[in-house]
Amino acid sequence: MKQNTFYILAGIVGLIEVGAFWLSVQYLTPLLISVVFIAGIVLLYGAWRMITDRQVDERASLINQKAGMATFMVFWVIFFATSLGSAVIGLGAPPLPHFPRPRVQGPGVTNNTIRPLGNGPVLPNESRALPGDGPGMPDAAFLVPDDGLVRLGHFGYLQLALLFLMFFLYVGFRLYYARKYGEWETDEEQN
Amino acid sequence: MHDLTQEALANELGVTRQTILAIEKGKYDPSLELAFKIARYFGVSINEVFIYGETP
Repeated sequence: MKQNTFYILAGIVGLIEVGAFWLSVQYLTPLLISVVFIAGIVLLYGAWRMITDRQVDERASLINQKAGMATFMVFWVIFFATSLGSAVIGLGAPPLPHFPRPRVQGPGVTNNTIRPLGNGPVLPNESRALPGDGPGMPDAAFLVPDDGLVRLGHFGYLQLALLFLMFFLYVGFRLYYARKYGEWETDEEQN
Repeated sequence: MHDLTQEALANELGVTRQTILAIEKGKYDPSLELAFKIARYFGVSINEVFIYGETP
């Protein structure tokens, strides 16, 4: 496989990852993006080993190692600090609230138990209305999680920020060490 | 003297042309293995190609 073919493959995998991320958010299935991400990375690692015209010499390896190590040294401190903050929130916060279904009487509800409203015949004292539709029923706002759970959801944004930070740290250090070890040096032999 | 381009030397030694250029410009210190390869390629001893000096 040519190196350029690998880059095209990497771009396609990246698009699939973005799509999987979007689907995960839409359907609230975190496992989807986790599995797709790992599968994508394994695929790219495999493809990377199949490149025939790859030119990685000791200087390029040194640049990669230095950039990776510098990224790790900065990132682990930030990650550790953030994780400690999260641990404080986790240990100090009250237990997560739970949301019991409201015990209501009304259409579709008998003996404080919600009956499934299937396609079967409608009994004389039953209707197709959903619980909460009738007068005196709790409205949908009752079922919205409270502020604590919403703030917990914001933790995802923090993790996203950390991911971007790791990426930009690596790119920054990569550029720094590439420049340091003469990546863009030119001379009279330069075409 | 050897009528050699950086590209040709790089191909002989299994590195990139940019590595040869970086060594020439003093931006990169080659590994001991690469230093020996370079010396052997030119048929000289290693201390005729490289001089040890303290880096600032």
